[in-house]
Amino acid sequence: MDLFPTFRTQGGLGRCGAAILCALSVLVVGCGDRSPKSAQQAPSDAAVSSAVSPVQADGKKVLRIPFVVAETGFDPANVHDLYSSIVVEGIFDTLLTYDYLAEPAKVVPKITTEMPLAEDGGKVYTVKLKKGVYFSPHPVFGDKKRELVARDITYSIMRHYDDSIKPVWRFLIEGKIVGLDDWYAANKKAGKIDWDAKIPGIEEIDSHTIRFKLTKPDVNFNYVLAHPAMSIVAREVIEKFPNDAQANPVGTSAYYLKEWVRGQKIVLEKNPNFRGGTWDFKPSGKDPYDEVLVKQMQGKPLAQIDRVEIYPIEEEQSRWLAFKNKQLDLVNIPGNFAPQALPGGNLAPDLVAQGIRLQKMVDPEYTYLYFQWNDAVWGGAEPHKVALRRAVAHAINRDEEINVIRKGQAIRAEFIVPKGVAGHKEDFATNHTYNPPLANALLDKFGYKRGADGYRSTPDGKPLVFKITRQATAIDREFDELYKKNLDVIGIRFGTETEKFADSLKRQKRCQVTIRGSAWIADYPDGDNFTQLLYGKNIGESNDACYKSEAYDKLYEQSRSLPDGPERDKIYLEMQKQFEADTPWVMGVTRLRNQAIYPWVLGYKKHPVLLSEWMYMDINTGKGK
Amino acid sequence: MAAYIVRRLWQIVPTMLGVILLIFFLFNVVGGDPSYLLAGKISNPETIANIRKQLGIDEPYYVQLWIFIKQVVTFDFGQSWSTNEYVSSIFASRLPASLMIGIPLLIVEAIIAILIALGVAYVRGSLTDRAVMVSCTVAQSVSILVYIIVFQYVLAYKFGLFPVQGWGNGFFENLFKYASLPILIALVVSLAPNIRLYRTFLLDEINQDYVRTARAKGLTENRVMLVHVLRNAAIPIITNLMIQLPGLLVGLFLIERFFSIPGIGREVILSVERSDFPVIKAITVYVALATMLANLAADLLYKAVDPRVELK
Repeated sequence: MDLFPTFRTQGGLGRCGAAILCALSVLVVGCGDRSPKSAQQAPSDAAVSSAVSPVQADGKKVLRIPFVVAETGFDPANVHDLYSSIVVEGIFDTLLTYDYLAEPAKVVPKITTEMPLAEDGGKVYTVKLKKGVYFSPHPVFGDKKRELVARDITYSIMRHYDDSIKPVWRFLIEGKIVGLDDWYAANKKAGKIDWDAKIPGIEEIDSHTIRFKLTKPDVNFNYVLAHPAMSIVAREVIEKFPNDAQANPVGTSAYYLKEWVRGQKIVLEKNPNFRGGTWDFKPSGKDPYDEVLVKQMQGKPLAQIDRVEIYPIEEEQSRWLAFKNKQLDLVNIPGNFAPQALPGGNLAPDLVAQGIRLQKMVDPEYTYLYFQWNDAVWGGAEPHKVALRRAVAHAINRDEEINVIRKGQAIRAEFIVPKGVAGHKEDFATNHTYNPPLANALLDKFGYKRGADGYRSTPDGKPLVFKITRQATAIDREFDELYKKNLDVIGIRFGTETEKFADSLKRQKRCQVTIRGSAWIADYPDGDNFTQLLYGKNIGESNDACYKSEAYDKLYEQSRSLPDGPERDKIYLEMQKQFEADTPWVMGVTRLRNQAIYPWVLGYKKHPVLLSEWMYMDINTGKGK
Repeated sequence: MAAYIVRRLWQIVPTMLGVILLIFFLFNVVGGDPSYLLAGKISNPETIANIRKQLGIDEPYYVQLWIFIKQVVTFDFGQSWSTNEYVSSIFASRLPASLMIGIPLLIVEAIIAILIALGVAYVRGSLTDRAVMVSCTVAQSVSILVYIIVFQYVLAYKFGLFPVQGWGNGFFENLFKYASLPILIALVVSLAPNIRLYRTFLLDEINQDYVRTARAKGLTENRVMLVHVLRNAAIPIITNLMIQLPGLLVGLFLIERFFSIPGIGREVILSVERSDFPVIKAITVYVALATMLANLAADLLYKAVDPRVELK
């Protein structure tokens, strides 16, 4: 073929040019909705009511869900990210768990015959294990079914003291169980771990009974036993894979790891040795949808779903489009798509037409902006410094944060114990309201004078700058704009300090960060998990602000000895007052979770504490089970 | 030739030492302390100290540097700090996906870009030439992010021509089903600058006396363009192609992330986010090595393409 004819094309489009322009025109013009598929995405009501899962490989019930971040591994003692913990909870059992529907969250037995018997004022807990709880099949067990026994629990707890695996959850039990810390010290001295040792505080009464003796009464110990980090592993499996327990999780819960392509796909299948059980939960009485769930699931054997496929999809658009394309069965509606998916706070009509259900929930968490208690300008209990922090608390417009930055998907956090957590005060309204005139009055009164440029200086005449430490992400920049706008109104100059997350954490532990935004989500649904964030003895650990108040600490110590109830609530209210008086933080927001769920997913309700609800769910394949 | 190759390979050693020092310096100065990321939500100084010990970053700098050098020499970078996966396993499992996008892209892009560049160079100054150049300039001005978002939305979601995202298990399934759209996007992004570049190389040759002589001898235009002009423009084109080769090792970060492709580019982003130094340093060292080898290969290709080139 003659590609280069002897005449030259002058003044006209040659074939090559035409092809490129044609391709570009497709780019520009092809953005309209001309898709025959779009019609299929809005089936009739009749189709929705009988909607069945599009994926029924080998007749199996398959659930497909996304992860927002790639997992790291599945060793319960070493897992340090939320998404890996979700898988851990699906594979491993803990002694206790949470009632699927109860509100507020309630701890219930999982592999124990009953709730642990607390004696000696909460210093001794006796646990009776169910019989017939077996690990999923694994070559290390040979052909025999391996039953979970009391020694497995002791071993799993001891693993949190194996430094070589970089344990991250030791704080849950550190200093709590009699003899455990001494055993660790002896191991360190000997240079090796004595795994066969008897721990005085973990008494194996028989193969199915274990007694915990605590160093002091702990009303929250049941929450510890329900935490995924306390998942029970088999020693022979861990010893078979000394360097890679992360990739070899073998547990007793409903699912086992069938396939793992790191960062791309995690496939769990039903544990053939699963002990079974029956779906038997009562409606909470607070959520009308509970009745529907009970109707769908009551009396069914647990673990109806045969396979769970998990896909880490980091990008919001990819995740949302994959859901809309029915590649996923449920999704947490990404923030950037909330205005499109939830116009006016309700599910968009095109999604409703497909039978997609919206579940809104408030996460047991909040965000906050902390001030370094040791900082010469912003920290401390002197009246002018307290006034400065209060002024900022009155100046920051959280409603604007919710509407603009959070796109309406958050509520104001008011109390030091967030919604959905035991100890939360439902009708509480903080004194830290948005009130710039009051903020200005406070600053004027305490000698923060405005200069010619309109910005204030400290009472001793030094420049006053609200310099926040943050990363350089898009949302950080949005906060920069909000804070600058709000602080300009009260004459405080705004500045930023950009830093890597790891560096901020490092300096934070050393009480060197002046102002920074942070967040906390419940490890367990009790107020203690939040009130400890301001406890003086937790400086360098979880007390980011390095806040130290004798009054608060005293109240906190009192609260720790009390179970959830009116007496403790009263103390929490006093702690809140002390917190507001000192204002070591400006409270932020509690974020909302909007789950979009296809109609063939049955029995699903996002639990505020449980990470994986799969064993309580079902998929409508149209064939029954 | 053999002596030249040996000499060039020997030159890799000091260059690699420089790379090692640079990586080590950057990690220790601006890399961030990973122990704080790995310590979980609540940690105390003892936990942090233990993690630092387990990672080996509590050792004196000279010890850490010596370990790094040994790792480079043995190509054994140990295990990832955040996932415990062996770095060699990370490469073995992630590289194929990146290469499945990168290799077809490189080949198809080179062929199309060269052909279009030949075409527009041939009709230089014409409306076609100007239209193509303007189109290339416009196309170059648009961020790759826009291409990804628009193509994923329009071609994959709206038209259903490709999967929105994902990756399968089979070679052909991945190549023809999952890799097609990522390759198309990368192609659109990379074509424009390369067409402009190759056109310039070709125009430099097209005005040479030997081209006029060839035409005067009565050679066909096909022969003039495809044999004489293209061959003489081949050296800068080869240089450009070779520069792109090491990029295959790092993949296409954004494309892999948007399309959930388990490639090495996505792993690089994760490793940086997690301050996972073993993975970061392995990738950096491999890319540096690949760059040096690609340069050597380019020099050898010059000789093959143009016998007048002397390797000294």
